[in-house]
Amino acid sequence: MQRHNIMKQLILLTVIFSSSAFGQVQPEPTGVIQTLPAPWPAHWIIAHDVAFFHMSDGKFYVLDAESDDAATRVKGIFNGAFIAQFTQATTRPEMYILETFRSRGSRGERTDVLTIYGKDNLAPIGEVVIPPKRASAMPTNYHLQLVDDEKLALIYNFTPATSVSVVDIVNREFLAEIPIPGCSLVYPMAGRAFASLCTDGSMMSVQLDENGEQASTARTGVFFDANNDPIMEKAVMIDGVAYFPTFLGRVVPVDLNGSEPEVGREWSLLGDGDEGWRPGGIQVTERDSDGRMYVLMHPDGYEGSHKDPGTEVWVFDVENKRRVDRIELQLPAISMGMTNDDDPLLLVTNVNLELDIYTAKSGEYQRTLNNFAAETVLMLYGAE
Amino acid sequence: MKWLDGWLDKTAENTARSISQKTSRRGFLGKVAGVVVGGAVTVPLLPVARSQENPAPREEGDPASCEYWRYCAIDGFLCGCCGGSMNSCPPGTEMSPITWIGTCENPVDGKSYIISYNDCCGKSSCGNCLCQRNEGDRPVYNPRVSNDLNWCLGTSSNTYHCSTAIVIGAALDE
Repeated sequence: MQRHNIMKQLILLTVIFSSSAFGQVQPEPTGVIQTLPAPWPAHWIIAHDVAFFHMSDGKFYVLDAESDDAATRVKGIFNGAFIAQFTQATTRPEMYILETFRSRGSRGERTDVLTIYGKDNLAPIGEVVIPPKRASAMPTNYHLQLVDDEKLALIYNFTPATSVSVVDIVNREFLAEIPIPGCSLVYPMAGRAFASLCTDGSMMSVQLDENGEQASTARTGVFFDANNDPIMEKAVMIDGVAYFPTFLGRVVPVDLNGSEPEVGREWSLLGDGDEGWRPGGIQVTERDSDGRMYVLMHPDGYEGSHKDPGTEVWVFDVENKRRVDRIELQLPAISMGMTNDDDPLLLVTNVNLELDIYTAKSGEYQRTLNNFAAETVLMLYGAE
Repeated sequence: MKWLDGWLDKTAENTARSISQKTSRRGFLGKVAGVVVGGAVTVPLLPVARSQENPAPREEGDPASCEYWRYCAIDGFLCGCCGGSMNSCPPGTEMSPITWIGTCENPVDGKSYIISYNDCCGKSSCGNCLCQRNEGDRPVYNPRVSNDLNWCLGTSSNTYHCSTAIVIGAALDE
């Protein structure tokens, strides 16, 4: 009986496919897969959805921030497992994702990898297996950094012993692990070197040799208090200088252009009448192509408000240490990014967890990007 | 989305919390410093008043609420909403032996207590009762008081499920 039915269906299909109606339509090719232009348009952005409610399934959305079409503004998606960390090259069309996998999903053997994605195909074009020690933490810009003209990738480890994994990203091989006891994160320095913030209020720097091993170390004096008005680790780098805001609204510059970090003179983000304003959020600082610093700020600060949403973005001329603009946000925001062109867009995740887009230099609101399936976008990046 | 609710609520809460914190912030920070000095990066040797004779603190409120006093520095899903309780892990998970700590004031007796926020690990995100409060939270370079880190360390899996809030002693004043 069943065989009889199958025969009937086959005959029907033969009739359909041999009919003249089928021949009148140009068949579309199958197997077509889109690619992306190189370089990407300046106002394409990368939105990191960490998928806080299902962390193994994090995603990076490539979006056209100029588009008002919710469907076609999505240019592609790539993955980042278990609260990934992200950086991208400026000299190669590559992006680097720090990921953790377990052999049986939530359990089993752990594997940490630095995955290399191509910008043209959004596919994993390579990977480097690294020691399964990478810090599992909320995303920041300083878990994963490139140094030495983007030849080396540096990865922050926390087990809770702290160290840095060194990867030759050109030849795609793990080189070495550098202990940084009492210190955390990786801030890029000139050449084959990095710096880390230390619990005692100092900064440690490490020079690497040709094999990626530790050649020498140095330590600044104590320049911040890790408990009382601590510096935020969420610095912005402008011309090789890391600008660290503090919980209470000071800013501490550290010049990383030399062989050792050089701590500069601190100044205040606050002027007359600004009492109570504080920096806060997930990524609280940014910079534009003119070297101006942007800080996400909220009023009525209190102990514990350093991750609260910001209602304004304050813009600073870091050379003259003065505020030059004050952008009132449509909705309070929890994180901030910036495109990398001369007419940059300021990107924020608002408290509805949508993306609000502003013209950075005028502060003018442009549009809201939502309804593209992201749930918890915590970090935003402009395309390089 | 509870997380969203949390962010939205937070803006409204700022004013009220600001008033209460302004009056006690100096004392609060003093207590934190007094407690954590001398702690190692791993398991802190806390100079807390911990003994079997000490009574448990008297408590009031709803342990399923993010506003419950023990959660002053928590960041994660409350285990009491995931099959565990405020001081125990849900079935089939594994409690991290190392963690971050907070110093929270119990409104019933006005005393400050050291809270150990041990994570429960080995299953994916519980997803229920997300709670983020940051009193005494510090950046990740000060890990023992940082809630941005996944503290599923020293467990067979580092997959994060939820967070407990265990009273481990009374905070000592300066």
